[in-house]
Amino acid sequence: MVIDIHTHPLLFDEINENRDDLLFRKEQFGVFKSGIVPVDFELRLLEDAGIDKAVLLPEDYSAEAGRAIISNDEMVRIVNRSPEHFIGFAGIDPRREDAEKELIRAFDELKLAGLKLNLSRLHMYPDDSSLAPIYEICEKKNKPIMFHAGYSWEPNTPAKYSEPIRFEDVAVNYPDLRFCLAHMGWPWWEETIMMLMKYPNVYADTSMVYMDSPKNYYSHLFSVNMNLNWLQNCFQDKVMFGSNNPRFRHVRSLAGMKELPLRQDVRDAVFGGNAIRFLGLEG
Amino acid sequence: MIKLYERQLETHKEFEMINITADVRKAVEESGIKNGIVAVITKHTTTGIMVNEALPCVEKDIEILLDRLVPNDYPYVHTHMLPTYGTCSGNAPGHLKSLLAGNHCMFPVIDGQMRTGGEQNIYFAELDGLQIRSYFIEIMGEG
Repeated sequence: MVIDIHTHPLLFDEINENRDDLLFRKEQFGVFKSGIVPVDFELRLLEDAGIDKAVLLPEDYSAEAGRAIISNDEMVRIVNRSPEHFIGFAGIDPRREDAEKELIRAFDELKLAGLKLNLSRLHMYPDDSSLAPIYEICEKKNKPIMFHAGYSWEPNTPAKYSEPIRFEDVAVNYPDLRFCLAHMGWPWWEETIMMLMKYPNVYADTSMVYMDSPKNYYSHLFSVNMNLNWLQNCFQDKVMFGSNNPRFRHVRSLAGMKELPLRQDVRDAVFGGNAIRFLGLEG
Repeated sequence: MIKLYERQLETHKEFEMINITADVRKAVEESGIKNGIVAVITKHTTTGIMVNEALPCVEKDIEILLDRLVPNDYPYVHTHMLPTYGTCSGNAPGHLKSLLAGNHCMFPVIDGQMRTGGEQNIYFAELDGLQIRSYFIEIMGEG
């Protein structure tokens, strides 16, 4: 089982029936030249890459943008195109008056699998008191949070709000809340691995090919910046494969990660097993 | 008189040679142009338009040649985040293979038919698949 824990479906044809919708999403997300992607074609891309399931991440900054980049109802429409391949997360702008109510609806009625938050875009630190009700809902309902962490390519996203160490209070105060520090918290990967080793419910993903080829980039990060045995022996149960598609093609990101000379049990964990536990999908 | 057609296709592999000769012949016949020239032009920078013999062994040799000249694993410059795209470039081999393949071909149109050599076939070459692609068929001449 291979799971891509970090993909963005903003270009899918299912939700871009007119050009203005597509332009809004591209501008908000900071993807400028990519074209519309038919969902059927995306499914072929996943099959070609050997990816069994993709987690789809929405984003909601409606308090300032007027509407979500992808609403929770739109996410359900996408997931319904192929429920066996797509796992949809919820998005919520915590500044919305109905934020708590909408998040509960997204989990209880729409059955979305987790929550995506980019606090850099929201200009909120993880310990902002207004986020507490959101964390409490996720913890109570056993839904994981995918936090953007570190460097972000979205416009207006100061990285200081998403430095990995800033999430430590969340791990301390909500010990049963599973959350992922996306992009390995790059460039603060050392802070991220501290969080992975210390807190049982903190995870990270590999969606961080910002330079060089995926093969060279992953090799350098995990074998030169780190010792490969750190990944294999210290946080092998915490790192999940993620591509950040469409910022980087999932097939090439996956091929680069597969070049790492990992033990088979670590490969199984990184490419699927850890995501299954993070998502709460264990049998 | 000028007729322009735009075709779209979905490719299925990282490298794929798709024989489009019949499609080009049909466009020429439907254009109403009796004598002139037909050009086939790709819209992309990681594809090519090739003319060659339609034999699987020749197609495979072309693939092997391009892979030998442009290996996937090489320290290419075009491997970084592109601010104007908001995406990361990871397809330098496709661009360089496209350079070798060329972006178009041309054939004469005589008596309303595309005139080729007996073994000349036109290929749309995918060099950075899978993708949704387009190419032009433009016919210019006397009606």
